Amino acid sequence: MIKMIQHFIECRNISFSYEKFSQVKFSYENGKEVLKDVSFKTDGKEAVGIIGANGVGKSTLLRILVGLELNFTGEVLVEQIPVTKKSLPEIRSKIGYLFQDSDNQLFNQTVYNDVAFGPRNYGLEEEEVEKRVMKALGTMGITHLRDKQIYKMSGGEKKMASIATILAMEPDIILLDEPSIALDPKNRRALINTLNSLDYVKLIASHDLDMILETCDRVILLAEGRIIREGITELILRDKELLEAYGLELPLCLRGYQGRKR
Amino acid sequence: MGKLTNAVYEIHVLDEMAERDTGINQVHPLVKLIVTVVYITCAVSFDKYNLLGLLPFLIYPLILFELAGISIKSCIKKLKVVLPLVCFIGLFNPVFDHTPLFKIGNIIITGGIISMVTLIMKGTYALMASFLLVATTGIEKICYALKLLHLPSIIVTQILLTYRYITVLLSEANAVFQAYSLRAPRENGVKYKIWGSLIGQLLFRSMDRAGNLYDSMLLRGFQGEFYYARSQKGSGSDYVYLFSWLGIFIALRLINITGYLKVFF
Ligand SMILES: Nc1ncnc2c1ncn2[C@@H]1O[C@H](COP(=O)(O)OP(=O)(O)OP(=O)(O)O)[C@@H](O)[C@H]1O
Ligand SMILES: [Mg+2]
Repeated sequence: MIKMIQHFIECRNISFSYEKFSQVKFSYENGKEVLKDVSFKTDGKEAVGIIGANGVGKSTLLRILVGLELNFTGEVLVEQIPVTKKSLPEIRSKIGYLFQDSDNQLFNQTVYNDVAFGPRNYGLEEEEVEKRVMKALGTMGITHLRDKQIYKMSGGEKKMASIATILAMEPDIILLDEPSIALDPKNRRALINTLNSLDYVKLIASHDLDMILETCDRVILLAEGRIIREGITELILRDKELLEAYGLELPLCLRGYQGRKR
Repeated sequence: MGKLTNAVYEIHVLDEMAERDTGINQVHPLVKLIVTVVYITCAVSFDKYNLLGLLPFLIYPLILFELAGISIKSCIKKLKVVLPLVCFIGLFNPVFDHTPLFKIGNIIITGGIISMVTLIMKGTYALMASFLLVATTGIEKICYALKLLHLPSIIVTQILLTYRYITVLLSEANAVFQAYSLRAPRENGVKYKIWGSLIGQLLFRSMDRAGNLYDSMLLRGFQGEFYYARSQKGSGSDYVYLFSWLGIFIALRLINITGYLKVFF
């Protein structure tokens, strides 16, 4: 039976702050609010870009969606299931999450073992695991890295491998935190093409506005933990004043290169 | 701080050795585990004065080094951190044990000297055998073997994670000290005043990394069970390997070589 899901992700009035150790009370208490009353939902299988200056809470928002931070207020629904401690295994089988820092993502010796880790946990036969791994490596164009020792890989190679670990799980939704960081132009281009060919719900947090422009249908602009603007990618990323007011710049391709100012 | 870099490197090298394709790497992990345990048990159980009985046990590591294509030198190099400890423990034996055993020329060999030597030998054997097990099998497959032996999975997971986190801790330490030494180029080592904050930093950073890695495992469906090694069926050659070694060890343990040698001399 195919269930028609309209809103794969839905956030209702989320507020969140990291815990802080208070030396006065000698216990943990809530620190500064990082997200304030954030509400949005995805519409069908769309790709949504999350943009905003450093430290506005993009990574935090993604971490909440995948249940890595649980003491938020408000409600998060993933495929209509509320994110709670109990529902985590189910939620996580539907979501793939890419860490901003690949060293946090990869923990096995070889690329193959790391990509196979997820499928093996879901109890697949070794044959099927191998198929999935090779397919994911093929999609990312890194079949040649299959048996490479991870500690010997470059930052970009690790990024590509990290994305492969997610694809191998064949999720419905992927959350990507700075996917294009550390990639050379060719791999970045390959990543954009790959993302566009994947039929998943995609949430992409990034400062690479050119990539967002090429991959996302819609954009959410965050500042100081609030949603400032939400809308069609083209409209927001062309709004020079809006972007500059919140610490961003027009995407390079819309800027018109004027040479280096001296 | 080259030592830290080295330590991380050594662990990776060990992992890499285990990934190779030599015949010995392909022997079933459970077989290798059993052989190693029996070997160590047999060697360690010798009487403390039985130097001659212990000597033939050297053939196991010698043959395995050859089969695995690992140089003994590289193993000794890796073990040199622990070996002095073993020697140190043995050093006290000659002080306490003056029982004269026999004479070579004019020198009286006391029980203490012999027992020191046997202790060092036993320690070295045990270390070499464990090293060979890890270097030809890999920690993941060893854990798989432990699981086949029905060790509680919580303990097996603990062993595996500890092994993994050692690398995390070491590489974080490496990063912290490198960052420090780049900005304090004139200093030889770390100023004692900064040790506190540096260690604190290290603790937080490695806790953070470890936490993140654990999250990464959870996100990919980890529920406390590792499914690393492909399940592996024992083949005929595995049995041959197992029973030949067990036969040799038990024979060497039971047959009184010292007795036979005395007949000749
Ligand atoms: N583990 C943590 N403990 C306490 N505060 C944190 C923690 N992680 C992040 N913060 C704070 O939360 C805020 C949001 O951080 P977050 O990482 O979500 O920002 P971001 O938008 O992803 O930034 P960037 O563009 O630099 O990746 C920051 O002010 C940061 O200082
Ligand atoms: Mg971030």
